Amino acid sequence: MINHHYTLHSFDCLNKPTASRLHNMGLCEGCPIKVVQRYPFHGPVIIENNHQRIGIRYRDFAALTEAEV
Amino acid sequence: MADVALIGNPNTGKTTLFNSLTDKYAFVGNWTGVTVEKKVGTLKDSDIQVVDLPGTYSLNPLTKDEAVVTNYLLANRPDLILNITNASQLKRNLLLTIEVLERGLPTILILNMIDDLRRSGQTYDLDLLSQRLGCQVTTTNARGHQGISQLRQQIINYQDVAHHRLQLDYPPMLKQAIRQATEALQDDYHYDNATARWLAINFIDQSRAIRAYAKSHQLAPLLKQAAYYDAQKFSKQIYETRLTFIEQLLKDAAQSAVSNEPQLTSKIDKVVTNPILGLPIFAGIFYLMFKLSFEWVGTPLSDRLDWFLSVPVSNTVDHFLIQVGALAPLRSLVVNGLIAGVGGVLAFIPQIFTLFACISLLEDSGYMARAALVTDRLMQMIGLNGKSFIPLIIGFGCNVTGIMAARTIEQPKERLVTSLIMPFMSCSARLPIYGLIVAAFFPHHQALIVLSIYFLGIVVALLVAKFYQFLFHVKERSVFIVELPEYHLPRLDIIWHGTWDKGKGFIKKAGTIIFAGTVLIWLLSSFGPSGFVTDSTKSFAAALGHGLAPFFRPLGIVQWQAISALFTGILAKEVITSSMMVMFHTSSKAVLITALGQFMSPVAAYSMMAFVLLYIPCFATLATIREETGSTKWMLFSVGMSLLIAYVTSFLIFQIGSLIV
Repeated sequence: MINHHYTLHSFDCLNKPTASRLHNMGLCEGCPIKVVQRYPFHGPVIIENNHQRIGIRYRDFAALTEAEV
Repeated sequence: MADVALIGNPNTGKTTLFNSLTDKYAFVGNWTGVTVEKKVGTLKDSDIQVVDLPGTYSLNPLTKDEAVVTNYLLANRPDLILNITNASQLKRNLLLTIEVLERGLPTILILNMIDDLRRSGQTYDLDLLSQRLGCQVTTTNARGHQGISQLRQQIINYQDVAHHRLQLDYPPMLKQAIRQATEALQDDYHYDNATARWLAINFIDQSRAIRAYAKSHQLAPLLKQAAYYDAQKFSKQIYETRLTFIEQLLKDAAQSAVSNEPQLTSKIDKVVTNPILGLPIFAGIFYLMFKLSFEWVGTPLSDRLDWFLSVPVSNTVDHFLIQVGALAPLRSLVVNGLIAGVGGVLAFIPQIFTLFACISLLEDSGYMARAALVTDRLMQMIGLNGKSFIPLIIGFGCNVTGIMAARTIEQPKERLVTSLIMPFMSCSARLPIYGLIVAAFFPHHQALIVLSIYFLGIVVALLVAKFYQFLFHVKERSVFIVELPEYHLPRLDIIWHGTWDKGKGFIKKAGTIIFAGTVLIWLLSSFGPSGFVTDSTKSFAAALGHGLAPFFRPLGIVQWQAISALFTGILAKEVITSSMMVMFHTSSKAVLITALGQFMSPVAAYSMMAFVLLYIPCFATLATIREETGSTKWMLFSVGMSLLIAYVTSFLIFQIGSLIV
């Protein structure tokens, strides 16, 4: 849902480069994020955290917020 | 001579700062991965050398261009490091800062884009940042040229910059592991304390570049303990310690200021990244770009330049040569060869520069990252991701720079596929020949026909990418994380720099390879088995064209001039146009356009454009494919595949088109 707030849960389901890159961007377990935009057909999701906007794949987003999606 | 290195996250304005500080400018764009190789300039009015390294999120590299930074720090010892950060995103930028400070070299932390931070209603206590991090801290706004002269002075006085080493309070077990490894490296391998400690921390942190370095240098104290470090999950502890330190620091240093944030970026993004409008807007922007280049601005200017080169310049030189009594072959070489051939290509400068200005504008504004996002779903279907899209767009300018830009793609197989489909992106060198053909055959729909050729290239590239994905058994999951930078109001000088940077190669090529190609084709078309010939139908070029004619006939290309031109086009695609000029003995585009019209049907002309688009990449592109993939096999593969694809596509266009028209 757009403008909905989520908390990032587990990075374990992501592949290693994706997890490292998100860590590099200051995202970690327990970080709050807001969904700014979603694309149809399970397209990318734009999330906002700490004044930065990042586009990630739906699959990664779903893995990160598994309990809530 | 002193060396100063610029290190920072992507999108922190590093290249803009580099351009402000140095005499030489580097290319600037508002998307991740503009600097794919290090660039070197000299600090204005000094002999200090400034090295602009590619943007990196970490010294644990994921991409080929990020590895450049870690390898630079392994092989060099700069006198000063300028760590540039985006002041609005200090939390994640400081993760890299800590990695840099642990290296123990004199460092200045620059909070760039400070105006964006203030607008958001925040500032930081710089003294506190400086004290806790143990380095000088300064603020700049590189786009607005603020803080640059002060920074310049600090760089000149680089010897005064102290080098404290940041020592974070890692958990005891980890601390002990770092200490033991550091001591062993100092005792057995004679590293100085700072380097040894930095190597130890990064090795424990599973930095791929450092692990490879340890292996190649046989650093036994590290290699022996690798399994233990990993089992203890020290890497996770390092990250957590750093993040906690940063969060505490920023909490303590944060000060609030008056906010007057206009939220411009959010407003624009609501429209351009809209799930439904995103793709149509993207297509619309590209259509506008082509309208500007081929109808509104580029073409009228090109026509004027062409008239100037083919009438006053050509006639004046011809009269001069007659007056001084030059020999007929020499006059033919200069007037029908060089002025016609090289001039014929130069006449396209306005169109090409208009297109480059549009691409630079998109890069500088920050739209490119959005383009990667809105196209990701589409790219996912062919096994690539939106990040491949940016190099492919750059490929429209020049395939060579496009392939270089593909270095920012994390996954090796995606990078390979992107490099291999790059030649199908219609580069600017192919524009002149399209320009001629559309003017001759499709005068009323020039922009649309050229756009259709570009789209044909994209469609072929996508299909081939899908095929390669199947062929190479790509199974690894893609990495797609794209940062959406704040929009910037485009700045004229940055756009001009970007345009010139992309376009100067074209002008340079006119003086070198196109010049050489023109002389070659003039020789082939002016000499035959019987020596110098005035009737080019008796020349070597005609013989070559006739010889290859059976191969080209099913594509609708039967004229020996066109066939010889395609042959020489492998040198550089611009040479196709100059060859045609030479072989038709004209220096005027208008004359050639009329001549072409009588030679072939519009369907054959379209088939020829498709063939030019898809056939063998130029020498420079082939060399880059070999260099970036590290194998001649892929280069030869590219030659074979593109020739096959070009032949089949043109064959289908001509055969099916002839039935319809």
